[in-house]
Amino acid sequence: MKNSIKVERAKKNITQADLATLAKVSRQTINAMELGKYVPSTVLALRLAQIFEVEISEIFTLEESDWS
Amino acid sequence: MKVKYLFPNKFKKVGWFVLIPSVIIGLVTLVLGYEPDFLIVNVPAIFISELFGYKQLFGVIENNIMNEILGILIIISSIFVAFSKEKLEDEFISKIRLESLVWAVYVNYAILLFSFLFIYGLSFLWVMVFNMFTVLLFFIIRFNWQIFKLKKSDSYEE
Repeated sequence: MKNSIKVERAKKNITQADLATLAKVSRQTINAMELGKYVPSTVLALRLAQIFEVEISEIFTLEESDWS
Repeated sequence: MKVKYLFPNKFKKVGWFVLIPSVIIGLVTLVLGYEPDFLIVNVPAIFISELFGYKQLFGVIENNIMNEILGILIIISSIFVAFSKEKLEDEFISKIRLESLVWAVYVNYAILLFSFLFIYGLSFLWVMVFNMFTVLLFFIIRFNWQIFKLKKSDSYEE
């Protein structure tokens, strides 16, 4: 799964630490998601969408490999 | 994230505070075979079996409670260390926790299987003594190592 957290973060001009505080997770979690090492739960994904004020599908997109 | 099955974060410090001295004292007394006489007391027992024939259900026996005390301290404190929340226990940490637990069970039983095959007789008793504590020990080592690696490696990006 691809995500545009980093892009959205740049648009809002906030750091990983800021986003972590807003989403109530650790900075390591934000970092792991941006690097594609961790796929967030639905709740966390929805939280991020609400923070960035976008639709959830604008942040997260499926890849071919997600079907295998 | 709400998790109901973990202890509050401060239990972790208490756990380490009890675990480390207990393990040191435990190992030292085990090697030296030291058991102070004042700890010999009469204790209730569910099953009593002497080496030669005599067996009895429920009764009181004389026993040195040194190893019982240390065993209980080690088990309770390692449960505190293993299963206290991190300062920020989020879903990513929970995933690492689960992975570490599965890994610890695998390693523990791999070692036990190996010991089954190559350690016999009375020596196996030692395997069982250590095996009482190793699942938790392996979990603690692996989990904290993963958390340490995570905190160290994550490159900070603006």
